[in-house]
Amino acid sequence: MEYSILQVALVFIVTFICAIDQFSFLESLYQPIVTGMVIGLILGDVQTGLIVGGTYQLMTIGNMPVGGAQPPNAVVGGIMAAVLAISAGLDPTAAVAAAIPFSLLGQYGVTLIFTIMSPLMSKADQYAHEANPAGITRLNYAGMGFLGLIFGGVIRVHLREHLGGVDVANIVNSITALQTPALIVLALIGFGLAFWDYQIQVKFKVAGPALATEGGEEDGI
Amino acid sequence: MASKDMATSEYIIPEHYVDTTPAAPLDQKTLNKMVWRSLFLQASFNYERMQACGWLYAILPGLEKIHTNKDDLAASMSHNMEFFNTHPFLVTFVMGIVLSMEQNKSDIPMIRAVRVSAMGPLGGIGDALFWFTLVPITAGITSNMAINGSIAAPFIFLIVFNVFQFVIRFWLMNWSYKMGTNAIGILTENAKEFTRAASILGVFVVGCLTVCYGGTKLGLVIPNGETSSYAAQTATVKNDEVSKFDDMVYDTDGTTPLATTDADGNDVTAGVTDLGNGYSEVTYMTVATTPVTIDIQSILDGICPKLIPLGITLMLYLLLAKKNWTPIKCIGLILVIGLVGSGFGIWPSIW
Repeated sequence: MEYSILQVALVFIVTFICAIDQFSFLESLYQPIVTGMVIGLILGDVQTGLIVGGTYQLMTIGNMPVGGAQPPNAVVGGIMAAVLAISAGLDPTAAVAAAIPFSLLGQYGVTLIFTIMSPLMSKADQYAHEANPAGITRLNYAGMGFLGLIFGGVIRVHLREHLGGVDVANIVNSITALQTPALIVLALIGFGLAFWDYQIQVKFKVAGPALATEGGEEDGI
Repeated sequence: MASKDMATSEYIIPEHYVDTTPAAPLDQKTLNKMVWRSLFLQASFNYERMQACGWLYAILPGLEKIHTNKDDLAASMSHNMEFFNTHPFLVTFVMGIVLSMEQNKSDIPMIRAVRVSAMGPLGGIGDALFWFTLVPITAGITSNMAINGSIAAPFIFLIVFNVFQFVIRFWLMNWSYKMGTNAIGILTENAKEFTRAASILGVFVVGCLTVCYGGTKLGLVIPNGETSSYAAQTATVKNDEVSKFDDMVYDTDGTTPLATTDADGNDVTAGVTDLGNGYSEVTYMTVATTPVTIDIQSILDGICPKLIPLGITLMLYLLLAKKNWTPIKCIGLILVIGLVGSGFGIWPSIW
């Protein structure tokens, strides 16, 4: 089935909003049960959208992004499942299975954004030292914008590839083995950082001669 | 990490605010505004500070009202830009309590300690409460409705989920702000003890996170010779051939039957049962050799579970604290260790 430009644009906008919503705002709009219906509305088959959304939702329950670790992304997965089911006429379960590799791309997208936002935090520090609330606000908008754009981009590439008959999913599939170690690595670094951050901020104090006269109450923590 | 950066090294966060007169209590409108802003807690989520920038964004309206002195606002914003991570729906609890302390112009180390010790436990509670309870229940029921073609399903999900979310956000904000304001007197009187207690809790929280999320295991297995054991076999043979099995049925003294335990842990004894039709069922033993290995991971687990994640965390801490490494450099190092170690079989293989 051919997509009209309007439909592609609408899918892009939905993806953009849901990409942001998965971490900010209502944190429920992005769930496949909702996106399935919305994509169904856009592509003209609400029933299929609902069924695929429900199926994907059941699969993704309990697969939530917890503690900064990223599961295969439900936004890209849910939207692509609905798109594949409606446009390629796939069986709902088959569409859900076919969307899994795409959800991994979403996962990488999130990890990428979370990584490139890290260096920007020194900018945030600078705004804070200058007491500049507008700068902080701008950074937050930028973060959401990046996330929305990269997701919109991922979906748009998928739509085009899908039409062109090229399956990018295969490429992603071949490197799935990397995902778990990579996420654990990032999580551990986070804890190292948290611990370190914590250590400077609560100022480990050595009970020196001067402090000893005060009873050395701040002897460590 | 900011204090290590060239550009920001001049700024040192003070321990006390310049203006220590408590500010007027925040009005309901400001509190509500901050609840709405708390929706964007994770807008600029990243691996360095996690929700710090979103957290600061959320409490800014309150901070701007509280700190009319610009230096104080800078100090407050700076210490609120430190690492922050909690559950997005329960964050308003931390906001309320921190804002009540800011409003009373408490010492910055104390505010910091309260913030750190409140955020960790809430993160765990929130994950269990929302992601593993509310979502499975609401989404589970409505998914089945959607699969049956009910267009109401997504709307029911959204309404139920968000009613919960907003009730909790608004209630926690108001409750903890009031509680914080009331408790502030007690807190300030015992500031030193309280800060210390809260700080110890903070260290626990980081330790727990390491245990919960660190999953690195050693794949190293050292071969350590072989072991022999009996494996029971059963055969039905003619009565006059039974004596051929004597060696495999009885011990060297010729009378004690051999015994072993099978894979299920049941005792098996060798022996001969006469079936009465000229045949006997003989249970005899064969010797099986199996290689013995030393699994380093299980030895480490015996000493202290999750020793490797702890080691990695401490190593990264040392690199960050003592060697001024940047997070990106750490990510690179861990990637190299992971890939190379996996190639040599130190970690479970991913190749």
